[in-house]
Amino acid sequence: MRFGMLINLKKCIGCNACTVACKSQNATPAGINFNKVKKYEVGTYPSVKLKHMPMPCMHCANPTCMAVCPTGATQRSEDGFVTVDANKCIGCRACMTGCPYDARHFLFDIKPYYEGQDFTPFEQLKQKDYQKGTVIKCNGCMDRVRAGLEPACVHTCIAGARFFGDLDDPNSEINHMINSQGATPFHPELGTQPSVYYIQG
Amino acid sequence: MADIAKQYADLLKDKKSADVVLASPYKWEKVDPSKAGEKKTLFGICRHCMQGDCSTLVHMEDGVVVKVEGNNIPPNFGSLCPRGNAAIMSMYNPYRVKTPLMRTNPEKGLDVDPMWKEITWDEALDITAAKLKEAYEYDPRSIVINEGWGMKDTLLRGPFQYAFKTPNMVGSHGSLCAVHYGTGLIHGQFPVSLPDLEYCNYHITMGRSLGVNFATTGGSRKLSRALERGMRLIVIDPRCSHEASKGEWVPIRPGSDLAFLLGMANVMFFELGDKLDINFLKTRTNSCYLLTQDGWYLRDPETNKPMVWDKISQKAVPFDTKGIEPALDGKFKVDTQLLATGFTTVRAGFAEYTPEWAEEKCTVPAETIRRIAREFVEYAQVGSTIEIEGFTFPFRPVCLNMERNVMSHRYGVYADLVGKLINMMVGAIEVPGACLGSGYKGPSVLAPTEDGTMAPGCESKPCAWTFPPDHIGLQEFFPHAHTTPHLVTYAIEDPDRFHFDYKVKVWIGGGVNMVRTNGQPERFVNMFRQIPFHADIVCHLDEQAALADILLPEHSFLERVRVMPFFPSHQSFDRDVMGLQMIQLRQPAPKLFNTKHCDEIWYELAKRAGRLFGEGGLNDGINKFDCHLIHDQGMSMRAPHFLELDREYDYYDIIDRWLKSWMFGDGVSGWKELNEKGAFINWQPKKTFYHYYHWPEDKTKHEFYFINLLKVGTALKGHLEENNIPFPFFEDDATPVWECFEPVPHWVTSSEWNAPEEFDLWAFNWKPPYVSSDVGNVVGNPWLAELYMADPVEGAACLNPVTAAKKGLKTGDWVRITAMHGEIECPILVSERFHPDSIGISGTYGPGNHGAGPLMKRGPHYNRMVPTDPRTMDPVSGSQEIAPKVKVEKIPTPKNLEKKGRR
Repeated sequence: MRFGMLINLKKCIGCNACTVACKSQNATPAGINFNKVKKYEVGTYPSVKLKHMPMPCMHCANPTCMAVCPTGATQRSEDGFVTVDANKCIGCRACMTGCPYDARHFLFDIKPYYEGQDFTPFEQLKQKDYQKGTVIKCNGCMDRVRAGLEPACVHTCIAGARFFGDLDDPNSEINHMINSQGATPFHPELGTQPSVYYIQG
Repeated sequence: MADIAKQYADLLKDKKSADVVLASPYKWEKVDPSKAGEKKTLFGICRHCMQGDCSTLVHMEDGVVVKVEGNNIPPNFGSLCPRGNAAIMSMYNPYRVKTPLMRTNPEKGLDVDPMWKEITWDEALDITAAKLKEAYEYDPRSIVINEGWGMKDTLLRGPFQYAFKTPNMVGSHGSLCAVHYGTGLIHGQFPVSLPDLEYCNYHITMGRSLGVNFATTGGSRKLSRALERGMRLIVIDPRCSHEASKGEWVPIRPGSDLAFLLGMANVMFFELGDKLDINFLKTRTNSCYLLTQDGWYLRDPETNKPMVWDKISQKAVPFDTKGIEPALDGKFKVDTQLLATGFTTVRAGFAEYTPEWAEEKCTVPAETIRRIAREFVEYAQVGSTIEIEGFTFPFRPVCLNMERNVMSHRYGVYADLVGKLINMMVGAIEVPGACLGSGYKGPSVLAPTEDGTMAPGCESKPCAWTFPPDHIGLQEFFPHAHTTPHLVTYAIEDPDRFHFDYKVKVWIGGGVNMVRTNGQPERFVNMFRQIPFHADIVCHLDEQAALADILLPEHSFLERVRVMPFFPSHQSFDRDVMGLQMIQLRQPAPKLFNTKHCDEIWYELAKRAGRLFGEGGLNDGINKFDCHLIHDQGMSMRAPHFLELDREYDYYDIIDRWLKSWMFGDGVSGWKELNEKGAFINWQPKKTFYHYYHWPEDKTKHEFYFINLLKVGTALKGHLEENNIPFPFFEDDATPVWECFEPVPHWVTSSEWNAPEEFDLWAFNWKPPYVSSDVGNVVGNPWLAELYMADPVEGAACLNPVTAAKKGLKTGDWVRITAMHGEIECPILVSERFHPDSIGISGTYGPGNHGAGPLMKRGPHYNRMVPTDPRTMDPVSGSQEIAPKVKVEKIPTPKNLEKKGRR
């Protein structure tokens, strides 16, 4: 099994449901979103379009972030999830420089979402394991996936733009879709072998 | 002036000032140790937009809500939008109103400290109930119930109004969105008509969203599928939106949509006449009916039936005479007069609106208008059929739909009706692939009257005339108006001007904030200063709450039990919802504060004011409750489950009885079974979803010639004459009203077309995905705020680069935008995605009030520029003008934002 995700940019509507589903799943502290959606316009009036590009961690098979981590805090699991062990992370941020996809975030501080207010019970409970001075990132909803569920961003997508499956299985639906629709990773030339593929739109 | 503080001075001694609760950081209580290690999942229904129908699962750990996600059942099938995913933070919002409050400062204003004091629930309910009782005894009409989208989780608001016998329900929701007349008239339904995306192959959308622009689950799912199977999407919009980017964007000048529609209809009438659905027009519309010189149906003297010209016998005969061949087009000599058919009359009205004429008004090139009209007709496949579940339907896979940004102008109803004409010309009404009404499904909807045409339904059916008027929103004068809070401000200001024989004494709001969601906020602030007693059922301390005398805090939606029949539907239809009958359930999360369920508040108020028992009381109202959307298909009490009139009931007992009465249920499954299952789902045959099935072929007819406008306008004129009064607001000359009541739609300018020359741009506004219809304080939700503050479009005024260059403006420059009725200030964003004549401003942000969370005070408040002046509104729908002409001037960047950036 190797974690794989397919994002159909023809369908993505840039609503950020994935961003917030991810936030609620991971309780990322204020200012940090694992699942960004880049929005940009192409063309000139009146031949113009608004485009969207969701950017989760690419969970690369050859992750440069892991290669540069001096402590082994960044690991890649057998089923393809690239994760950070906060207890081993020394906060050197070499991985952030190493990641070409801007998928990593340094926890300078953990502040309550309601500025000037106390941490909400949700934050108090769910942010327990975050450690100031470490790097955090999308873990591909590893626990959900291993429990037989889809990642939160895939489950929530209101346009049906995201698809999740096993890249190791040549007969999997995701491989079929990647092949039949000519999906490609973002910047494959970097050699990181991302596990996230895009259908251009 | 509010006198509540003085009256209850004794009560307020020794009370805690609520500022402690509202202004200081709130200390959350520690998690209940008895819940440690506990994990459970509740069934949920979202309420972070006006639709509020997404099925969710609410996961809890240690007594804390840790995740809200979509449930894998209809109508969202697991998906959930950004707002739904952010529900947790609205529940754990430290700025919520946490306990009943009473103002101690009689002075009212958005920036004035009400000096809230905490009071007990008994005190809050007793004070409010006493005011209600006093007002009820003076005159039931003196009680105004004011509802917003935040009050849609109630089952008892309707029965409460019944118990207090007041006609005065004023909805804050919708006067900037009065989009219901055409759907009522042609589809007999409410609220809107929608494309059938299961089959539609060519869809034109204007001034509305299929769900994508403001991120609704169902709409986005359906559009995504339709585009994948190849449906062509034409988006006519001043902005290249998310949705327009998925189809063909046709830029249009804001506020000029009627011109496009008239031009398109002109092409269909005069250039594509031989390709129209003649059979539909003949058999399913009043097009063949002969009209007298003054526009009424020519009627058979014996039967009083409308008459048509029979081509066989060459004479006028009743429309339902057997064996005739009615003429669709032409003028025929009847007795001494030459009379035209409805079709001929309507078509003649469109002769002047050539695409070239339309281009001048709306800027869409004439050739584009011609092409779209041609494609629409071609894609309609006139003559084709489709078989569904053994029934043969006409197949018309095209649809043109519009809503808010087309209809919220003085000509809104005409635009709506021209859209209906365009659909009707190709027979694309209530058949597969076409334009379908939403709401109640069944044979009663299109049932024909004696005239052969279906009865006008919902808001196209005028409300009754009474004089002196009963309705504080002046519904007697605007009998089709959706909801008219803007007119209420005038009625409260000067009741004598409108001949009222009572005064408003008590105002009860629920989930409502007219200051933010209507135009000219200062008018609403002034209005509330004049109301003797104002209580609001609230979640958050928003602008309207800040003007109340008593705040009755309700649960946040995750804490609110809710049993809800599914309302079909919003944005579009397809297999996800066709035939779906469902009861959804929200199991409540434990409440955090000293709040109550809104229905407990309604029930308690009725009880304490003596309006619970007996005939005409709240219990009786529950027994008789009829949902205006889905009637007996929703919560309708049936024997043997009726409440006894003179005993108190537990809320769950009432729900149980309603569930057992559900017409699609098994008659025995109630509250217990719903909790086990999470939802009752009952799919009806898909074919019954299309109203053609119930009234096929020539069994019913739609108005093509809109005689209903003539009827209602004429009746209204008669009522005014009988009472010897002028039309309010138009005392000197009511022509601007009567020109909107003509049976053939025609070009009418909005107030903005005559703006002074310096107002050279058209402002317009839309719902963004982060905050959409502003339900549940989404603007104050910090997860969503993080998104809207990161989006350069939000909080800015968007200008086309050519326009920006002409005005010497660039992205980041601050401007003052001035309309004829108000002004706002915000930074500029230069973008290719905007029509050069437009200035686009997203969302509803600000204005903020004393005690509100800081997020509520940021961003431009677009509605400040929206007029409440009745001379600017559509006199038929009551819709306000939402595309004001504006002028733009550069101003210095506000000092506090120089370093921080644009907000």
